[in-house]
Amino acid sequence: MKHRSMVIALAFAAPLAAQAAPETYRLDPRHTFTYFSVEHFGLSNQYGRFDRNAGRLTLDRAAHAATLDVTVDAGSVTTADPPAAGGRSRDDMLRSSDFFNAAEFSQATFKSTRVAFSGDTPTAVEGNLTLLGTTRPLTLHVDRFKCNAAQGPRKERCGGNATAAFKRSDFGMKFGMGSIGDEVTLMIVFEGDKE
Amino acid sequence: MDRKQLVIACLAALPLAAAAAPESYTFDSTDTFANFVVDHFGITPIYGRFNRTTGKFTLDRAAKSGSLDVTVDVASVDTGDIDKGNRPRARDDHLRSADFFNAAEFPRMTYKSTAVTFAGDAPKTIEGNLTLLGVTKPVSLDVERFKCNPPSGTSKERCGGLARGKLNRSDFGMNRTLGAIGNEIQLLVAFGADHD
Repeated sequence: MKHRSMVIALAFAAPLAAQAAPETYRLDPRHTFTYFSVEHFGLSNQYGRFDRNAGRLTLDRAAHAATLDVTVDAGSVTTADPPAAGGRSRDDMLRSSDFFNAAEFSQATFKSTRVAFSGDTPTAVEGNLTLLGTTRPLTLHVDRFKCNAAQGPRKERCGGNATAAFKRSDFGMKFGMGSIGDEVTLMIVFEGDKE
Repeated sequence: MDRKQLVIACLAALPLAAAAAPESYTFDSTDTFANFVVDHFGITPIYGRFNRTTGKFTLDRAAKSGSLDVTVDVASVDTGDIDKGNRPRARDDHLRSADFFNAAEFPRMTYKSTAVTFAGDAPKTIEGNLTLLGVTKPVSLDVERFKCNPPSGTSKERCGGLARGKLNRSDFGMNRTLGAIGNEIQLLVAFGADHD
C-alpha cells in the first residue's frame, strides 16, 4: 500500500475504531471500597470493610459490553475492633490464617467474565472471585450504575455499587462456623475517572 | 404494721416488682456500630462508620415498653480514606472538621428514645431525639431484626439486632457541599448488648 492510500485507509478506520474501543476507567481508591457483612451468633450483622482496593472498569456502550476487575488488599480489613489488651483484636484475627490469611494470600480478586446490560446500563457482572487462593464463579448484581459527564477540569466519572452473596466455606474459610455465619454478603462500591 | 405483716407484704410485692422491672442491657462497643450512608455525586453511596458507640437499652417485655440511649463519639468517624496523598487532609479529617461533624465543639452525638413500639415480644419502632451539632430533632428508628440469646455458661443473656433510620443533615445545620454530597443520610445501627 502506498503512503497516500494508507493514510486514507487509516482515516476511514479511525471513527470505527473509536466507536468500538471500550472506554477505560481506573477505580479511585478513595471512592472504591469493598464491604462485607456476616451473621454474628444469629443476633446481628457484623460489617467489615477493606480499606485498600484497586481496579479497572471498561465500558463499550455501543457493544453493550464491559469488564470489571477489582483487587482487594486482604490485610486492609477493618471491623473497627480496637486492639485488645494482651490479646489480639478481631481485625488481627481476621488477618490471621483463621480467616483471610493475609500473610499467605495478600490479595483477593474479582475478575469479570461477562457483563449483562439493560439498555445502556450494566445490571449483572459474572466473574470469578479468588479468595485464599481458591477461584470460584460469582455474579455481582449491579444495584446502581451511573456516569457523570466530563465538566471543566473533571473527567467523565462512572460508578455504582454491586452486591453478591457467597459461602465462605466454599473458599476454605471455615473458622467459627457455628457462631459466625457461612454466608457472606459482599458489596463493592466503585467510582472511576475515564482515562 | 408489725414485723410479720411487713415480711408478708414484701413477699407478696416481690413477684409483681420482678415482673414489672425492665431488664437493662449495655451495648458491647466491639459489636455495636453506628453506620451511615450518603449519596456521592449521584453516582455511589459513601459508607461511614463511627468506631466508638456506647449506650444502654431497657426492655420490659410484659409491659411492651423500652428505652434506648446511645452516645456516639463523632471523632471516631471512619470512611476508610486512610491515605492523605497530596491533599491538605484526608476525608475523615475533613469530616471531623467544622465543615461537617465539628468534633472539637460537639464531640458527641446522642440518641434518646421517647417511645418504643413492639411487634410481639420484640421492639419494632423507636421514636426519639437525635442531638447532632447541638441541634435536637426527632428521628425514628425501625428495628429490622432483634433477637436475644439466653445466658449459657459464663455468658449473660445477649440481645442484638439492626436498626435503621433516616434524616436530612441540613436539619441539623450540616449544610456543606449539599450539591455534591446528598442531604439524606441513612443510618444503620448494628448492635449487640449484654444483660446487666
